[in-house]
Amino acid sequence: MTGEDGKTSGIEKFDGTDFGYWKMQIEDYVWYKFATGAHKYDYEEKKNVMILVKEGFLVYQEFIKYSKMMYLDGDIQVYENIDEVFDLPDGHFYAVNSLCSSAGVYLKTDLPPHYEVDAVDPKSRHKGKLETESLLKSRGVNWTSLRPVYIYGPLNYNPVEEWFFHRLKAGRPIPIPNSGIQITQLGHVKDLARAFVQVLGNEKASKQVFNISGEKYVTFDGLARACAKAGGFPEPEIIHFNPKEFDFGKKKAFPFRDQHFFASIDKAKSVLGWKPEFDLVEGLADSYNLDFGRGTFRKEADFSTDDLILGKSLVLQS
Amino acid sequence: MASLAFSSSLLLSSPPSNFSPPSLSPLPSRFSFSHSSALSSSLSITPSPLTYPKSSKRFALSALSVKASAAEKKKVLIVNTNSGGHAVIGFYFAKQLLGSGHDVTILTVGEESSDKMKKPPFNRFSEIVSGGGKTVWGDPAEVGKVVGGAAFDVVLDNNGKDLDAVRSVTVTGPKIGPRVLVVKQFLFISSAGIYKPTEEPPHVEGDVVKADAGHVGVEKYIAEVYGSWAIFRPQYMIGSGNNKDCEEWFFDRIVRDRPVPIPGSGMQLTNIAHVRDLSSMLTLAVEKPDAANSRIFNCVSDRAVTLDGMAKLCAQAAGRPVNIVHYDPKAVGIDAKKAFPFRNMHFYAEPRAAKEILGWHATTNLSEDLKERFDEYVKIGRDKKPIKFEIDDKILESLKVLVAV
Repeated sequence: MTGEDGKTSGIEKFDGTDFGYWKMQIEDYVWYKFATGAHKYDYEEKKNVMILVKEGFLVYQEFIKYSKMMYLDGDIQVYENIDEVFDLPDGHFYAVNSLCSSAGVYLKTDLPPHYEVDAVDPKSRHKGKLETESLLKSRGVNWTSLRPVYIYGPLNYNPVEEWFFHRLKAGRPIPIPNSGIQITQLGHVKDLARAFVQVLGNEKASKQVFNISGEKYVTFDGLARACAKAGGFPEPEIIHFNPKEFDFGKKKAFPFRDQHFFASIDKAKSVLGWKPEFDLVEGLADSYNLDFGRGTFRKEADFSTDDLILGKSLVLQS
Repeated sequence: MASLAFSSSLLLSSPPSNFSPPSLSPLPSRFSFSHSSALSSSLSITPSPLTYPKSSKRFALSALSVKASAAEKKKVLIVNTNSGGHAVIGFYFAKQLLGSGHDVTILTVGEESSDKMKKPPFNRFSEIVSGGGKTVWGDPAEVGKVVGGAAFDVVLDNNGKDLDAVRSVTVTGPKIGPRVLVVKQFLFISSAGIYKPTEEPPHVEGDVVKADAGHVGVEKYIAEVYGSWAIFRPQYMIGSGNNKDCEEWFFDRIVRDRPVPIPGSGMQLTNIAHVRDLSSMLTLAVEKPDAANSRIFNCVSDRAVTLDGMAKLCAQAAGRPVNIVHYDPKAVGIDAKKAFPFRNMHFYAEPRAAKEILGWHATTNLSEDLKERFDEYVKIGRDKKPIKFEIDDKILESLKVLVAV
């Protein structure tokens, strides 16, 4: 990665086009910020990347392991909103008043949806975010934590919708584990960005946690069909498989956790007056039209797990 | 905005904001009201100033309802079905209203001497009487005669599954006397079952409904005829006095150490509320008629439970293990509707309108509520009752056959 001189120069010239070039610039900038700052940045942890879309301009946001740093798009410039510097055993971090947490912190429940008052799981792989929430609470600063479920949208780093689009484009069946009626929930990154904006300087948001995602939930099967609609593909063939019958090694055969997983956004709606603008098919179409549909994606298609599944189901049929 | 049900302006008013009835042919001329002044002079209409409590209350328990002051006291008529899963709603609501100091009459369809009245909640109607309420029986088509041609502030129709049944309760014309009912606010128990199945749950107020469902015709009719109305769409409920089995179906199998056969994957979501939550929502609508006016409310709890989850919670409440067995009804050759008390698909509505518009909160806590239900199940000796499990046996038998091959 080419290191920039650390200035924000250049980024304010971003005009919403040429994502390929700008993505790299922003990535460099963010990486440099962390690399030269006191903060320890684990490049491998670049998982929860969220792209904010505001008025057609894209700002690349990086959420790292402890999810403390955030760059919000004002008009065109990337700005930082830093409250305080805290010390952590592995290094410093900059605390902002808005934390992009995750609904993954909730303890699995028999009685969905997840509400903000529900128990959290101290062992979850998102526990870093829980630790940040506790730390912010203990310091008595003004803080807000937003908990999205699955984020999607153009330039999504996490192959959520992209996973379906690859298969739809290749005309391949969509392999879905077990019944396909597991319910999940997607939220468009732009709606999440708007929630962050609405939280800034908002008294009602102080020291509160909000689930942020779409209005409606969706089944796995339904999501496959929604992606097809969004991309103008014909209705896909869906193959259900039993994951226990396969050994996929370290690979994931399906991008969602194999369980019901959804959260109520009632609190954000009533307290913040925020609500999602995108419905699912609309939002997926937005992602498709601005990203995958233009030939861009983050991860190359990898159908190896699909072939394992399809190979076995062919055998069963004969 | 409470107005007498037969105000002529009703028929010409624009559709309410979140419910658009399709255009229908003009209603028969008997609904054109030049007679309203004549009516008001022939019937005694108790003037009741429309004052409502300013503070919003949390209805944690029906027993905590605030006593209605004389100005707020309402005269309520409940027209109640004589059987089925919704019957308990009228019972509970009547008791809650009486506890709050309102005047309540409950008209149950049919005859007091009918065998149906030997089952709960009807066999406990003495509780309504001792609470100060009136219990009457009859044909809703003769409602004016049955209830003495009185005027009511509120009518809750917990009976009409189709247009004919409901039409008979409403004002049927300018004729004065026994057939006329004067109503300020009309509340209707519909059903969340009318929502069109979707791959994007939950069912939310405003979502598309099945055009051919009986309740749908009624909902449209009500929206046209009444100046102040609200519609409630429930799913399943538990609670003492229930007329239809809900949790009992699971308890029956669990206490007898029988497998619990659940169709499909068991991951299907449903919504099971304690009837007190349904009742508190209705009560809020009575107390906030302006807010509730022209609205549809999903009358359900604010949490889902899977079919497997419900079996597990029932077992936990009973303090016993559970053996869940999944099956494909088609493969076994049985009608899932007869074999299992819940729909074999996602059937999950959320009470978003009630929370937003009425400030209602759910209190259902299945883990705790099922313990209470189990205690009663044992208390009435149902755990010892000999029960035949013919359909279960057929399912289990066929599963053994499949496995053997």
